[in-house]
Amino acid sequence: MSAGVRHNVSFETNNIVLIALVAIRSIRYSKWRRCCVHGARLRGFLLEKINFLTSQYSSFAKSPFVDKITEQYNYEITKNPTEWKFVERLMPFKTIPQVVPKESYPSGWIPPKEEARKLPYFIPRTKNYAIPIYLQLSFKGNRKITQLKKIEGDIWLMNDDIKHLLKTKHKRYVETRVHEVARFIEIKGDYVNDMKEWAFSKGF
Amino acid sequence: MVTLLINAIKRLQVSTLLPIRTYVSVNPQSIPLDNSLVVTKKEWKFPPAYTKPREVWIENLDTLEEKKLGLFELHPSVYATTPRIDIIHRNVVWQRKYRWVSWAHTKTRAEVRGGGKKPWPQKGLGRARHGSIRSPLFRGGGVAHGPRSGKTHFFMLPFHLRIQGLTSTLSTKLAQDDLHIVKDLELPSDEPDFLLDLIESRNWGPSVLIVDDSDLAPRNITAAADAIAHVNIMPVYGLNVYSMLKHDTLILTLSAAAKIEERILQHLHSITTDKEASFKLNQV
Repeated sequence: MSAGVRHNVSFETNNIVLIALVAIRSIRYSKWRRCCVHGARLRGFLLEKINFLTSQYSSFAKSPFVDKITEQYNYEITKNPTEWKFVERLMPFKTIPQVVPKESYPSGWIPPKEEARKLPYFIPRTKNYAIPIYLQLSFKGNRKITQLKKIEGDIWLMNDDIKHLLKTKHKRYVETRVHEVARFIEIKGDYVNDMKEWAFSKGF
Repeated sequence: MVTLLINAIKRLQVSTLLPIRTYVSVNPQSIPLDNSLVVTKKEWKFPPAYTKPREVWIENLDTLEEKKLGLFELHPSVYATTPRIDIIHRNVVWQRKYRWVSWAHTKTRAEVRGGGKKPWPQKGLGRARHGSIRSPLFRGGGVAHGPRSGKTHFFMLPFHLRIQGLTSTLSTKLAQDDLHIVKDLELPSDEPDFLLDLIESRNWGPSVLIVDDSDLAPRNITAAADAIAHVNIMPVYGLNVYSMLKHDTLILTLSAAAKIEERILQHLHSITTDKEASFKLNQV
């Protein structure tokens, strides 16, 4: 189908099918069928027509249902009308919309707090307003690594705080890895929920 | 002995007129002392959460001596990210590779002339069995697994690595004092010497990349930059990591800086699934 040319099922073809179907129905349940030879003949003719119409084509666009229609509707081009906002409403977002502040979020999403911006370190939300703390599984799930990404500010202080927190909570030494250039911390083991809880408590 | 000493002292005389050249591109004398500076604060759609916006001077190009026309804010997500030199390097490698077609070529044993006849009988001579004198084992024979010409090295770097390459390079340039914002590109003359003197006086390094918002730069700077091989002008859509690294200094006009910021911020805050999809040859 070439671009720029509109195709549509023509009205006439549709009507022909409709009329034919009605005709067959009426012939079948009328006296016509029994008494008149012409009725059967007409019915056969119409069925043949319908068979022709409903036969399979390589694609819908190549079937005779589709005609090239140069102009289907009469329209005029107006600029900046009041109705434009209804068109805009249908268009996809150019950027991910801002969060609307609410009392509570039924989804369980926790909004970031303002006071977190005064801390010496910071984890910004992703563009989808999620906290960038992930579980990395490797070796068929045998190695679990918790990753905290997009860290801003003093990454080493954050590392110390995390280590201290996990050590007091789990009563065992926790191995971490700090990547200063790519701004992430990796913790050996699955501590995603602990870290998310900690991050939300800090207000990130 | 005395004369020697006198000569030595004479040679020690240093001209007091030599200017002390500082290697900082902000000249304190260029800042106006009265409070006439315009500080432009920006209202971003996506304001920075933690990192503070970067303030840069707006400079002029119409006079040889430097004038600070005001201050301008740049978004830290674009102009003050972590300089990921690994990503910058991947961008440079990509830019070198996608345009590289290797024309190195060798002939296989089928393409080297001759060698159709079996050189000697299979058995009875005590020699190794061979079927052709153009086999890769032979001197003057074909090359096995050699380079074949017209090999493209095209590939597409993932979308967000391209974006991060741009932000990393812009941030590096700004942090190293190699990024300057100018009000516009109006020069008083189209002499290349004027532009060269201006670059010299402002410590902008020999090579300069000028980026403007529009395709059509003013005539004077186009004519001047055309005559100098190491001063180049580029529209915003042509901005790339390789050119930024190739030139010592990056000069952005106000509108170009704002446009780059707007475009990159939009990509950083939108759904980019279609741009992350694998590259198709017919998509351009």
